[in-house]
Amino acid sequence: MDCERCAGLVDLYLDGELPAGEAAAFEAALATCPDCTARLDERRLLRAALRGATYHAAPPELRAALRQGAWANAESAAGTAGTAGAAGSARPRQRMAPALRWAAAVLISVALGWAIGRYGPQPADARLEDQVVAGFLRLSASEHPVDVASSNRHTVKPWFAGRIDFAPPVLDLTTEGFPLVGGRVDVVDGRKVAVLVYRRSQHFVALYLWPGEAAATPVRATRDGFAIRRWGRDRFVLSAVSDIAGQDLDGFVAAFDRRLAAEN
Amino acid sequence: MNEADLAKASRFEALVLPHLDALYNYARRLTRDPHEAQDLVQEAILRAARYFESFRGDEARPWLFRILRNSFRSGRRRDDPLLVPLDDERHHPEAGGDPEAQLIQADAKRMVDAALAALPVAAREILVLREIEDFSYRQIAEILDLPVGTVMSRLARARDALAVELRRREQGVVRLHPAMTGGRHGL
Repeated sequence: MDCERCAGLVDLYLDGELPAGEAAAFEAALATCPDCTARLDERRLLRAALRGATYHAAPPELRAALRQGAWANAESAAGTAGTAGAAGSARPRQRMAPALRWAAAVLISVALGWAIGRYGPQPADARLEDQVVAGFLRLSASEHPVDVASSNRHTVKPWFAGRIDFAPPVLDLTTEGFPLVGGRVDVVDGRKVAVLVYRRSQHFVALYLWPGEAAATPVRATRDGFAIRRWGRDRFVLSAVSDIAGQDLDGFVAAFDRRLAAEN
Repeated sequence: MNEADLAKASRFEALVLPHLDALYNYARRLTRDPHEAQDLVQEAILRAARYFESFRGDEARPWLFRILRNSFRSGRRRDDPLLVPLDDERHHPEAGGDPEAQLIQADAKRMVDAALAALPVAAREILVLREIEDFSYRQIAEILDLPVGTVMSRLARARDALAVELRRREQGVVRLHPAMTGGRHGL
């Protein structure tokens, strides 16, 4: 491979878009090409720089604005759902476009979700469980269940730096029968969380972690056939989800806790 | 509001909410303005609600990004300077910029933010999609409505342009740093 050719592959290699065979050929060519090595290093620095740039999280008022904005839309189309009847409905209800009608439903359920999240812990918990299961389905259906594939926790842990704003505990549980597959970042309740992915024979176990105080009593739940455990440790909330049997998942939780305690 | 509407509404909500931060961040990079970004996300979500029927449940994130991006484009006139595509030969960022602005950018984060903001929108968005949001070439092609080959070349050019922008700013900061020049007269 001459330099002109390998220079053209630097970006593809960096982006993981080269087929395995070509990637190996590229790596071999790289060893003899200082220019392309420098170019690749620069690209990596650029990536790190960009990941260090400000991440603009949606301001809380955006959710509120969405609520009000969509209400305003529904209103202009057909009067608000809430007051249409009371106000004697100057505009007939049926003029509300179907999309807007259920857009209004979104808003109601968002508003309810907020109120419930604030005043009643149970349904908010159920919501968490649903999101964690959805995340597990996404990763187990994906060709790339992890974004950093490594059984070495010293590779996985630093990978999270710059992607999320906390450093999750990363433990390999190979000796306990749960080898570490790697890590990824997911979103739970609108915030970025760390996900550690383990394997148990042909199954995955996903461990979601984020900083926070978990309820004093661990949560044991089943959703659509998936077992879920949620508990707190060292000011982290941990939520394990898998399609393995519930008692096996209990074994995972116990193994993780033991290992974590041994670390501290 | 019947039960089917409510169920659909909660499906839609579950689809959009996890991506709200990412959509807003993308909108901020596109518009470079917090208020415009907010309006843009709002508009995109209303559109998404309207198109929800046609969503086949494949990949929500690229779908939402694509809608947001189309909202952004349709909200602007064709000759809007923000829409001028990245020069197909090579992008030359204009040199200069006032010293005061450069001083403000003294820390790395701000410097990267500013360098990114100085790039044309075609470069900004592709960098965000690839480096921050980790979309694959195929997904980016889908969002930007471009062939994968164009995604590859545009991404490489965007990276080159950012490298030039950053290098220029780095030099500016070093040149302007009082400790390096022995005082503020360097300004």
